[in-house]
Amino acid sequence: MSQRNNNVEGIEPTGVARWMKPISDLIARHSSSLLLFMVFCVVVAVGAFMLGDLHTATEQVQHMYAGSVQGLRRIGELQYEAQETRRATLYALTTNNSNLQVEYADQSRAADRLVTEGIAQYLTEVRTPREIEVGRRLQQNWAAYLAVRDEVLASILEGSTKEAVDLDLHGGVPSFERVRQDLEEVKRLYDVQASEQLTLVDKSSQRSVIRLMGVLAFTFIFASASIWAIQRSRMLNAMRLAKLQMDFVASVSHELRTPLAVICASAQNIADGVVDEKEQMAKYGSVIRHHSRQLTELVNQILLFASTHEGRNRYVLRPLKVSEIVGAVLVNTRMLAEEAGFVVEEHLGEDLPLVTGDFSALCQCLQNLVVNAVKYGGEQQRRIMIRAFQSLAEDFREYEMRISVEDHGIGIDNAELQQIFEPFYRSPVVTAAQIHGTGLGLPLAKSIAEAMGGRITVVSKVGVGSRFTVHLPLAHALEVENTTVQRVAQL
Amino acid sequence: MRRALGLLSLVACAVLLLEVSPGRAFPAPAGNLSDDTLAIIVNRSNPIEDLSLKELKTVFLGERSHWPNGRRITLVMMDPGLSERKAVLRDVCHMNETEFSRHFLQGLFTGEVFVSPKTLSTPVGVRKFVFNVPGAIGYVRASDVDETVKVIGVNGRKLDDPEYPLRIDVRAAK
Repeated sequence: MSQRNNNVEGIEPTGVARWMKPISDLIARHSSSLLLFMVFCVVVAVGAFMLGDLHTATEQVQHMYAGSVQGLRRIGELQYEAQETRRATLYALTTNNSNLQVEYADQSRAADRLVTEGIAQYLTEVRTPREIEVGRRLQQNWAAYLAVRDEVLASILEGSTKEAVDLDLHGGVPSFERVRQDLEEVKRLYDVQASEQLTLVDKSSQRSVIRLMGVLAFTFIFASASIWAIQRSRMLNAMRLAKLQMDFVASVSHELRTPLAVICASAQNIADGVVDEKEQMAKYGSVIRHHSRQLTELVNQILLFASTHEGRNRYVLRPLKVSEIVGAVLVNTRMLAEEAGFVVEEHLGEDLPLVTGDFSALCQCLQNLVVNAVKYGGEQQRRIMIRAFQSLAEDFREYEMRISVEDHGIGIDNAELQQIFEPFYRSPVVTAAQIHGTGLGLPLAKSIAEAMGGRITVVSKVGVGSRFTVHLPLAHALEVENTTVQRVAQL
Repeated sequence: MRRALGLLSLVACAVLLLEVSPGRAFPAPAGNLSDDTLAIIVNRSNPIEDLSLKELKTVFLGERSHWPNGRRITLVMMDPGLSERKAVLRDVCHMNETEFSRHFLQGLFTGEVFVSPKTLSTPVGVRKFVFNVPGAIGYVRASDVDETVKVIGVNGRKLDDPEYPLRIDVRAAK
């Protein structure tokens, strides 16, 4: 037995794997669709992240282009138009024809208007104090140059070429030089801004690459972990199932072998003529009958579980009286209980409503619970209580019938409460206590209750006892009416 | 009756178009200005508001060199043969083309004339010249005036005054 216990512990997960078990079980149950869903989610998340990052990078580049490259282009245009203003003014010096001089003056003024507008536009866009300072200085210097330019133009048109040249040399050239320097400074500022933004874009791009690699690494690790969890869970399940099946085979073999040995021995004694008295013959017959019944019951239980498990059972659901079900169960289990020295008490509420279910299946379900209560009822208080009462269902919307079987036996450890309903599961405690069984009674009871639209709950404490409760739906008024009509018709 | 109504609506439309015309940025001088009115224009910075015909004559004959604000006078004439020039020579200078040319040749030689006139081909050129030169004075038809230049009165008469003295001889112009 201890070896069996050790074996059971050997296939149980430990450490992180134990913590991962519920998750891996969940994944294993819906492995393919879950994995696909996860991969889809991860792909969508990665895609969205990448798109967002690309969008940000594009916006940054666009911003850089709008803020710097266009700015540089505009400054280039300003420089050109400023030169054009001065060039047209100087062209006017080259001719004595007043008509041509007026034409050049006109060209100079058209160019200066563009420069003035460009500077005003620049001043609306500047942000930093340095840019504002340079912009304002440029505006002032340009206005100063235009004042000199106007005087130069006037002198040229008046015909005072010498005066115009003097004015231009002493006023125009220095003031235009200041404008030129200011424009260069604006251009330099744009260059600095562009290089700063380029650095930002570069950093942003590097950040994007790092993020992307991180996300891809995460995706890879996540996918690997999922696959590992699924594979491990499948392997654990397969190992546990194999172990349970081996235990089942051993248990069933033992359960079959014991009555068979008794039957064989009894039959051998009769055949050998060891038994010749009538009383002894009757006793041997009784032993053979008892063990034959035990064998039949065991085989029936296995077949019933197999058919339930494969969904081959077809139940006939109809309204049933709880008292009839409990009565049948008591009759079927009386001999077993009495032989084991148990007293079975029943407490049924008054005017209990009908429940919906299959009569024989429900009897089998409750019978399994009573047999378990006898098996694990312990030595101290050999009393089994069957209660039936109406109560609000778990969702507090409808009433349901609760039939409970309570013993004062060895009880079940909390850790095992979920496992006892698994097929072929046998607690190490009961196997150690040499209590025979197949591990099919509770799973069978559970699947019957669920097939009836109900469920089974259990409350237990080690050394105190257990209470198994079958929750069953009540029969609806219409079903009850139909049943009554059918019974009257049969009568 | 129908013809009279049609004529009236045509006139109304024409007046309306003139009122809303975007090209006419400078508000037309009030009153009935015909195309034969000759406007004397100066730079907008020039404080002069009015000149008598006698003062105009000294200016247009180059016998006056500076404005009261100290700016040098620059005389702007239009090409010989144009009706505006003819009107100025006739009504302001009281000379013909030959006498006017001789006056300047002689005056420049003797030093009695301080200013040599600048000659421009078009009214637009005259207007732009006056706009660019603070001391310039010129003449254009009243219809060629815009907000870039300043129109001065003559003999205390404004452009829209019926007794404004400077008119172009339309017949001669045609």
